[in-house]
Amino acid sequence: MPAISYSKEVIRDLIEGKLPWPQVKSIISGYKDDDRFDKYIEVLQEKVPWKEKILLPLSDELYIVQKGTERIVKCGCGYEFGDYRENWKLKALIHVLETEEELRELYPYPNELDPKYCEIREHYCPGCGAQLEVDVVPFGYPAVFDFLPDLDAFYRQWLGRPLPQHKEFKDMTYELTRKWGKEDETS
Amino acid sequence: MEQKSVKKGIGWDGKTLKEIWEEKERLYKEIGCYYGLKELPLMKEDPLKLEVFASRLLAAAVAGRETTRMISASPIVREVAELAVAIYTPEGDCILQSTGIIIHIPLMGQVIEWMIKQNYEEEEGISEGDCFTSNDNYIAGMHPADIYDIMPIFWGGKLVGWVGTVIMEPEQGALAPGCMPSGATERFVEGLRFSAEKTAVNDRHTKAFERRVRLGCRMADLFFLDRKGAMAADIKVRETIKKVIDEFGVDYYMEGIRELIEIERRAQLERVKRRTVPGRFHSLTTYEIYLSRSLAPPHHAIDRITLVPCDFHIKPEGRYFLDFDGVGSWGWHASNITPSALTGTVCMLLGSTIAYNGRANQGTMLTVEMNTPYDTFVNPSSPNIASGMFFSWPINGGALWIGQQSRAFFSRGFVEEFRSPAPMAVSSGTVGALAGKNHWGMDFGFFMTEQGGVGGSGGFAIRDGITSDPVFIAESDMGNVEVWELVLPLLWMGRRFIPDACGWGRYRSGPTIMGTYMVYKTSLVSLDTSPAGHAEKIGCNSGMFGGYPGTPSFAKVITNANTMELIEQKRPLAHGIIRSPGESDLEQNIRGNIIIPWMNSYVKSIAKHGDFIQIYNGGGAAGVGDPIKRDPALVKWDLDNGLLTIDRCRRIYCVDARYDEKAKEWIVYEEKTAELRNKRRQERLAKGMPAKEWWQKRRQDMVNGNMPLLLKEMYNDSLAKGERWPKEFRAFWQLVEDFTF
Repeated sequence: MPAISYSKEVIRDLIEGKLPWPQVKSIISGYKDDDRFDKYIEVLQEKVPWKEKILLPLSDELYIVQKGTERIVKCGCGYEFGDYRENWKLKALIHVLETEEELRELYPYPNELDPKYCEIREHYCPGCGAQLEVDVVPFGYPAVFDFLPDLDAFYRQWLGRPLPQHKEFKDMTYELTRKWGKEDETS
Repeated sequence: MEQKSVKKGIGWDGKTLKEIWEEKERLYKEIGCYYGLKELPLMKEDPLKLEVFASRLLAAAVAGRETTRMISASPIVREVAELAVAIYTPEGDCILQSTGIIIHIPLMGQVIEWMIKQNYEEEEGISEGDCFTSNDNYIAGMHPADIYDIMPIFWGGKLVGWVGTVIMEPEQGALAPGCMPSGATERFVEGLRFSAEKTAVNDRHTKAFERRVRLGCRMADLFFLDRKGAMAADIKVRETIKKVIDEFGVDYYMEGIRELIEIERRAQLERVKRRTVPGRFHSLTTYEIYLSRSLAPPHHAIDRITLVPCDFHIKPEGRYFLDFDGVGSWGWHASNITPSALTGTVCMLLGSTIAYNGRANQGTMLTVEMNTPYDTFVNPSSPNIASGMFFSWPINGGALWIGQQSRAFFSRGFVEEFRSPAPMAVSSGTVGALAGKNHWGMDFGFFMTEQGGVGGSGGFAIRDGITSDPVFIAESDMGNVEVWELVLPLLWMGRRFIPDACGWGRYRSGPTIMGTYMVYKTSLVSLDTSPAGHAEKIGCNSGMFGGYPGTPSFAKVITNANTMELIEQKRPLAHGIIRSPGESDLEQNIRGNIIIPWMNSYVKSIAKHGDFIQIYNGGGAAGVGDPIKRDPALVKWDLDNGLLTIDRCRRIYCVDARYDEKAKEWIVYEEKTAELRNKRRQERLAKGMPAKEWWQKRRQDMVNGNMPLLLKEMYNDSLAKGERWPKEFRAFWQLVEDFTF
């Protein structure tokens, strides 16, 4: 069977939501294209206004990019959040919905959502003001680290082209909070 | 018909089923392939022949499912199609499965395995024409309403496999409303219970079984016809398989079924490697259970919130691992989960999101591992708990898991596979369960699933969500009104979308169909929200990529309604017409006692002819992406179609528009829209708190214990039960090593 492949234009239209539904349906139902990831990255790289190489998109706004020897999370606008192994939410702006008026605006029908029990946290990019994630968690739950990719395993074992400068697959968020904790003690 | 009942060695090669099962386990453990199949000779020799073989089996399962629908009388089967059929190896491993409620597929296999381990072969006897019925969730299963009818398949006097059919029953003789009662805290009030019992011999139900059903539930005809429908499916599949064996030969059959499982095991690992990205994902769910306001016995009438964190790992070797470390305690209520139920959940989730090519089977399941700490919410230590809602995590947590897997699809570029979470039916209990006298004057009880499947889906990465995409069944159907009206004392007054009810986002969630009903020709109906509601004070879902979780489910009941007076005066009734959130024809037209039911509870009033019920089961389906990035053309479409009011259009999407009376459509002001959106970004930058400040503020709240008692108890429970999660929780907030609230 010949390998399935779609043009870069088709991939661009697909990710921008412009591809007609019958074509999308046919892509869903068909065999997956082996070169998707590379074309996807090419399309995304053309879209962003900066030059760092995209290693992995995390959302429609956030990307893990290679910056020198580091791998950092970067917004489409160019704002840099730091090492991809730290939860980027701890470098964002946070707004917690706490008033009845704010809740009613979003949820005008009967509900018992209670800000004493529940935090609805909006995370904004400090660079452009884009809303990047909205988490709904019990009051006091740590910032949710949605996805920590095992980038080295992905590039080495699945794509067959290892990344330079191996990075340990480790959640480094706690090193940041430890630093903040120490700063609090000394202040 | 084969009449042979063999006490020993009914397996194809003369071994007992137990010996065959043990051999299979040993081979997998030692070699790492299903049945030790390092090579796939049938596949290698003639792949097309194996493909034809697989298609025959799959067609048999699908045809069996449709057969049941022709025989059953229950709308849950005929209309909503809450059933599934699967074919198993002699050891109880699924080979191929129909569509439907596939969460049960591995669980019917677990029942077979249980029968093997319990030595049914010698002690009960397993013969051609036997049917074994099970809804005992201690053995396996999701809740007592889902009944498994399992039949052995013999060829040449030897057992070559099994076929199983699962059907959801709307009533099985439990405490009112007869199915999934909110007040059940122990298994002993959950109605008819079959613990893998032989209920038919020679393809006929036994009289003892029939008598037990007749005396054991309120709507025995529905229950009994479903059993006949299930057995018809089983027989149809069994006979088809015999024909397949005649055509292909029994040796080919026995080898082929094992190869199909090993092929799928390898295929699933390959799919994961081609479509996802390895790594760690985190999600969490909370279960609010307030039994103090229900009818639970005093020693179980406890209010609690239980935390269920879930770390989902995609391993470099393509395997999935779900780690429930940090989960809280189990409790005396119907909403715990078991490792068995979680195994079913994995089948449901994988079968509808990644292993959806019709070949999902035990091979898919072999690629997934879980950590389910003993003596917790996901692995209770008592066999006596109620099991009415083992769907608790599958639907809430399962929906969130779908979102996390979608992140992996998105990162890899397969944006078309992305679905954001839609917890739906289990997010907030609604009054779908009724009991009392029906419009024929008979006692009845019923768990109506019409609304369960018609909540909107979450948004997708490249388009808006759709209507009707429940986690628990891939092809949902709310059924025909006329059929529901035959069995329930309700008149369907309206099925409608309502405005401003969605998960807001660049791509919003799909609209939910709200149901409006009038109680009909009865003076005695009690309503129960069932134990299906777990999210009241804490939302059940998060958004994705900046979208919001959607409108929580809600219900309204109006008792002592003035409907008869309105009819006499020829004035309008209520049909669920809502022009804006404050303008509902229910409240505008109907006078009476308005009740907003609590979840996990009975409505403490009796409904009668003319009273009204309204159910919205959107359940918080999520939007995707920043709402102010939504294409104004899509916003206009929502305005034109009554899904959005101009008020929220301006405030949430930051799109300005006006209605053109002449053209009868909305016109978007592009310049003003750009201005509003820019202003919103500036507002966010001004009001957003740097994360470090938020962390410092919230950390003080944690240290000082500034939160409600139920939350402190919830956290203390998880801190005491977990190993890894407590360390991460304390490290995040920089709390001392032995910190508790």
